[in-house]
Amino acid sequence: MTDGTSRDATGLEHKVRGVDHTAFPTFDPAATVRFYRDTLGFPVVHSICAAGWGPEDHPDFIHFFFDIGNDDRIAFFYYFGLEPIHDRERGDVYAGFGPEVPEFFVRSRHLAIHVDDQDDLLEYRRRLDDSAWPVEMQIQHETIESIYTHDPNGYMVEFTRAMRPVTPQEDLDATLTIDALLDVVAEPEPSFGKLLARKAELIVERAADWELSRTTEGARQ
Amino acid sequence: MTALYVLDVPENTTVAKVAAEDPAVTVGKLGPYFEISADGAIVVDRRATGCRHAVWYSCVAGVGGGRIVQHDKNALRVDPA
Repeated sequence: MTDGTSRDATGLEHKVRGVDHTAFPTFDPAATVRFYRDTLGFPVVHSICAAGWGPEDHPDFIHFFFDIGNDDRIAFFYYFGLEPIHDRERGDVYAGFGPEVPEFFVRSRHLAIHVDDQDDLLEYRRRLDDSAWPVEMQIQHETIESIYTHDPNGYMVEFTRAMRPVTPQEDLDATLTIDALLDVVAEPEPSFGKLLARKAELIVERAADWELSRTTEGARQ
Repeated sequence: MTALYVLDVPENTTVAKVAAEDPAVTVGKLGPYFEISADGAIVVDRRATGCRHAVWYSCVAGVGGGRIVQHDKNALRVDPA
């Protein structure tokens, strides 16, 4: 990240190093391994075999991890003897939704895995299309290209590549968006129109100075 | 005065270019943003920009002194407040 990031706003040093792991329950470890290891080729890199303990009558479980690149990992919990906790058709094994929940909301939560270029994206498309979990959607926006499918547990997985590098001005824009959003949601009845009006005020206040400070920094380097 | 702000990134440049074709509209820069301004309405034809949906529906950074009255697959229109 460049100018306009949270460090400028908060003064807090940004020391974290990406995703260690993100974890999900599974009731079908066999299909989960077929999907992540055998179809996608994600190495199994870690596992924990744990006897249940504690006051909650915790079942025995296996916690297993796949490498998703960059030393980041996706992990699963398989609990022996635990039956699926819901029988709704919409959603995933973690959370089911009734017909009252709009589809865009059900589809909002997902994991997006980064690839370097279109060759790599299409390679994962080939692997998925040859499997029981073919690509459901391939979308090319002007800025990104992505493929989507659902894993055997119903979790949505995206592979994405950037069509161009992120520019410094996008970091500024994101900062202004969030500042405007916080202002708007602090008032009654937040709306997109109110956000764009507030953001216009912030652009007038800050955009010229941001450009000037970048130019000055560039001249010093 | 109505002002429409659009971030200057490659996929947004045609929005400013098409807006500038209206002689009543002025397009300048404010930092890294295009500042598209007019005394009256600002209208941008989507097809003329060549923008597809994802960019088209997210190209507006801010609206000053007016409000969006149309933002669909045909056009973006900002009217004075």
